[in-house]
Amino acid sequence: MEVAEKNIPCNSVVGGNFEEVCSEKVIRFKPPLYKQRYQFVRDLVDRHEPKKVADLGCGDTKLLKLLKIYPCIQLLVGVDINEEKLHSNGHHLSPYLGEFVKPRDLDLTVTLYHGSVVERDSRLLGFDLITCIELIEHLNSDDLARFPEVVFGYLSPSMIVISTPNAEFNPLFPTVTLRDADHKFEWSRMEFQTWASRVADSYNYCVEFTGVGTPPAGFEHVGYCTQIGVFRKNSGKLAEPFVSQQHDQHVYKAVYTTSYPSLQQEKVLKFVLVGELLIQVERLRLRHQRMLREQEKELDPKPGDTDFSQAPHLLLGEVFTEAEKARIENSPQPFCEGEKFCIPLRRLLAYPKLHRLCVEEDRMRSLIADSVCLSNDGSAIVVDLHNSWDYWPEDN
Amino acid sequence: MSGRARVRARGIIPGHGAREVGCAPGDLTVSVSPSNTGISNDDGGRTFTERGKVRRDVIDLSVCTREKLAHVKDCKAGSSGIPLQLVTNLFSLDLPQDWQLYQYHVTYSPDLASRRLRIALLYSHSKLLDKAKAFDGTILFLSEKLDLKVTELTSETQRGETVTITLTLTTQLSSSSPVCIQFFSVIFRKIFKKLKMYQIGRNFYKPSEPVEIPQYKLSLWPGFAVSVSRFESRLLLNADVSYKVLRNETVLEFMTDLCLRTGMSHFTETCQKQLVGLIVLTRYNNKTYRIDDIDWSVKPTHAFQKRDGSEITYMDYYKQQYNITLSDLNQPVLVSLLKRKRKDSSEPQMVHLVPELCFLTGLSSQATSDFHLMKAVAEETRLSPVGRQQQLARLVDDIQRNQVARLELETWGLHFGSQISLTGRVVPSEKILLQDHTCQPATAADWSKDMRTCKILSSQPLSRWLIVCCNRAENLIEGLMSCLRRVGGPMGFNVGYPKIIKVDEKPAAFLRAIQLHVNPDVQLVMCILPSNPKNYYDSIKKYLSSDCPVPSQCVLTRTLTKQGMMMSVATKIAMQMTCKLGGELWAVEIPLKSLMVAGIDICRDALNKDVVVVGFVASINSRITRWFSRCVLQRTAADIADCLKVCLTGALNKWYKHNHDLPSRIIIYRDGVGDGQLKTVLDYEVPQLLSSVTECSSGASSSRLSVVVVRKRCLLRFFTETGHTVQNPPLGTVVDSEATRAEWYDFYLVSQTANRGTVSPTYYNIIYDDNGLKPDHMQRLTFKLCHLYYNWQGLISVPAPCQYAHKLTFLVAQSIHKEPSLELSDNLFYL
Repeated sequence: MEVAEKNIPCNSVVGGNFEEVCSEKVIRFKPPLYKQRYQFVRDLVDRHEPKKVADLGCGDTKLLKLLKIYPCIQLLVGVDINEEKLHSNGHHLSPYLGEFVKPRDLDLTVTLYHGSVVERDSRLLGFDLITCIELIEHLNSDDLARFPEVVFGYLSPSMIVISTPNAEFNPLFPTVTLRDADHKFEWSRMEFQTWASRVADSYNYCVEFTGVGTPPAGFEHVGYCTQIGVFRKNSGKLAEPFVSQQHDQHVYKAVYTTSYPSLQQEKVLKFVLVGELLIQVERLRLRHQRMLREQEKELDPKPGDTDFSQAPHLLLGEVFTEAEKARIENSPQPFCEGEKFCIPLRRLLAYPKLHRLCVEEDRMRSLIADSVCLSNDGSAIVVDLHNSWDYWPEDN
Repeated sequence: MSGRARVRARGIIPGHGAREVGCAPGDLTVSVSPSNTGISNDDGGRTFTERGKVRRDVIDLSVCTREKLAHVKDCKAGSSGIPLQLVTNLFSLDLPQDWQLYQYHVTYSPDLASRRLRIALLYSHSKLLDKAKAFDGTILFLSEKLDLKVTELTSETQRGETVTITLTLTTQLSSSSPVCIQFFSVIFRKIFKKLKMYQIGRNFYKPSEPVEIPQYKLSLWPGFAVSVSRFESRLLLNADVSYKVLRNETVLEFMTDLCLRTGMSHFTETCQKQLVGLIVLTRYNNKTYRIDDIDWSVKPTHAFQKRDGSEITYMDYYKQQYNITLSDLNQPVLVSLLKRKRKDSSEPQMVHLVPELCFLTGLSSQATSDFHLMKAVAEETRLSPVGRQQQLARLVDDIQRNQVARLELETWGLHFGSQISLTGRVVPSEKILLQDHTCQPATAADWSKDMRTCKILSSQPLSRWLIVCCNRAENLIEGLMSCLRRVGGPMGFNVGYPKIIKVDEKPAAFLRAIQLHVNPDVQLVMCILPSNPKNYYDSIKKYLSSDCPVPSQCVLTRTLTKQGMMMSVATKIAMQMTCKLGGELWAVEIPLKSLMVAGIDICRDALNKDVVVVGFVASINSRITRWFSRCVLQRTAADIADCLKVCLTGALNKWYKHNHDLPSRIIIYRDGVGDGQLKTVLDYEVPQLLSSVTECSSGASSSRLSVVVVRKRCLLRFFTETGHTVQNPPLGTVVDSEATRAEWYDFYLVSQTANRGTVSPTYYNIIYDDNGLKPDHMQRLTFKLCHLYYNWQGLISVPAPCQYAHKLTFLVAQSIHKEPSLELSDNLFYL
């Protein structure tokens, strides 16, 4: 991460008069600081693979949008007090169209709640990660005082990330006292760490401090622009899901919720399975046809047919690992019965794209039965070797 | 919105006054703090003028043609026929009487480049907090007027910069203004999003409820095509069921299969041919792109420059940005040119897409020619009137029950309501006139049975003709000949014995035989083609339509081997051959003597997209049974004809030769007019036609001209309600009120049948009319003309000259690729 310093002339209009603000050194982070903060969370998700993640003070849901692509996350929740923002941004969290074609492996539900972080809502219990990015500095002293008991004490997730401005960095900015007019305070590293350590101690968490936004050369002593505390619950007391049933407390208002299609849903699994299967069948059929044609050609070689002697300049399609190759080779071979081409289900299941779906042969048979034609004993898929839409341009 | 587009958008707002400046500035200071993260944004990144353009169908509505037509100024409705109550797929959108929309121009000082930031600052300003508002970054719409004409607001960005936002009232819009119509479209776009639908193109789809056709790797996403606009007197929402076809494979998978099929030597070429022009959907956002090219030299391992100037490989980019790992590092990239241009340059922006991350949408031309596939798709998508009505009812229900959607409508004062019913008329059915017999068909959809034993109007005996076939097909000729004679006799079409030429089963052999044996004496050449006829067909038609103009008839071997079908096949062939020799099959009663009708259709050449093929077909007798056909190729960017003067003049000369006079009336039906082209047709094509008429008349009273724009594809549907169910309206149903437009002299006519699906009415817009026929006569004449297409013994969806012109342009655009010889212009050689 780097800091770029730029001379940016800026005109600002105050009270209708143009006032020349002299060119000043303005610190610009590259990538922008907010992106660095998000990246920090993403790295954390990559490393710890949490299932349930909540972002408190999610605002325009930008962080959630970045997190919804992670395959490990199955429940993603955003909480904010600005209901309008949640309303207008909800649909950004809906699945991409492409996710209906190539669905996720695991279910994912995204929900946005309107409510305050100092209220207790049992639907946020039992989370693996709760993030509070640039949140606490917006809390007034009463709320700040209640914040730890709600988030650490009540919600008690396995991991909490809290980021907040580092006041020691502020002198490097041109005019700023507080970085945002809504900030109630900005802490020095010492202030933050003192608060954080105390909170960690009282709720049985350990905390590590770090940050993003490296200071420019010569100013290393001020520390990161954004300071971050990563809290992890000390082992032993794990999240207890039964709590939610015992004290159902629904104070938040669900503003938006969406569920993603995934392979855990039978309908979706069937769709993907049949799709991948037919692609593989078609590929094997074409390969077999080509093989037959090659054999014909060998018997009756035509001059100038360079099709296969020419080294392909493109490699298209999957590349198998040795293990995959072995698995495929050890499965029963496709075979021909007259004009019919039969591919054993076990063969098909050996190909990586089908193998990864982890479907047993019997289950597969029942899932695909009404979409494909099976052999009498049900062990193979049967298709016509030649199709009306087959064409071989070499013929012309 | 680009500067130019903005100017265009403003252009259609009638007279917004000069901007007044000087109202009390800066009396409001509010700071904005998007709670913790970056920057807020709006409802999805579209501007009010979709991608910087005013929607094209909205442009058309500003072309007010009716006001110039005195005879329909007060009333454009017909009167004949039986009134019929019809249900439509239109829904009322009611507004309070004095409803107005206030449009503000918004500027920022210092200027902010980020649209998102502009929107975020404005939206969170307390002054506007509780107001119904829509903002695209530049134009703000409010349903309530602000106190001052110019309002200055002060906000503070997250970085602490103070920004002054100036809102200047530019216009007050009534609900009928075009800008307002676009605004309503934006509102509905929002509502559809709330209903968890996705916008693709201009339609909205529900991918969560797909219909699967696994054997063809297709998914169909159900959805709706929607448009809000002002019909005759009120604002209405028009919704029709639509399906998005999605292929369940990535472009990479498609390429891999193709590679297996074609082998390496033909691969890149075939790939290019099959993929370019298709629309893909990317996996990592909801955007669709058109494939304009494939760049085989770029691989996922190559680096590109990001907007911030840093370089990254495609592979790393997708990993970083979307957590996607590419499996094939040898795939090429797809190239797409974006429609939207970058602000600072005129070069279209280009994007690279990775095949593995793109899904194909729609059907390829290869798929559409697969009968079985199309049948499977049709079975799922062809909805009966009842099915369609159910879907529409569900949509209305969804909108009305969704709280957020309802709220959105309410804040703007819109009331979304009932399905519109209206009264149409069913015009009287037509009699079919044959040589010595007049028949009243049992159904106008198909009178082939009614005329089975009847003599056609006129025909040339066929005595000098050739049949070219390959050896295998020789045995079929005897059977064909006997059938032709058996059907030809009662028809009055005498078929002599042909000269039979046997050739090898190769396109070149067919062509050589034709070149060798065709001389000016030959009346017609019949070719019996083996399967995969495209190569044969194109070369034969090319030679016999332009190099050596002789009518030709191609028949597939397959067609001649259909058991039990031979008589109907032979009837069809006999009728086509009669027409190709200049015969006339049947007529309808045309009360106007000395009337010429003509059809124009336009399409793009299949091989060379820069070439526009214009087909012009005009009647040359007052019975409207003989036709003059001309096709012109022109190089133009737009689908607008340059050559109409020469076409019409040719037709008028021909008319004069046959009738020794000029027609007193000419009515021209123009098909193939796209959205937004109405003005060009009016300003550019009508004058060409008029100047031809004036020049030909040379002093004598000139013919009177009318020009009618024909549209087969419209969103509108009509149903008749019987008891608790709905049905297709009967043939001859005319609608000329409520669902029509106040600005135009227009009507809908149902002239085709749909056996299983929902019939779609054809829309007629009379944009120029010297004839001053009563609307009633215009409608009935149009209906009569739908009976005169000789390739089909029944009613068709458009007037016959349009269908002839279409058939002609299709032949030229697909097969011949050059202008057919004028020697054939008296014959319907392209049937």
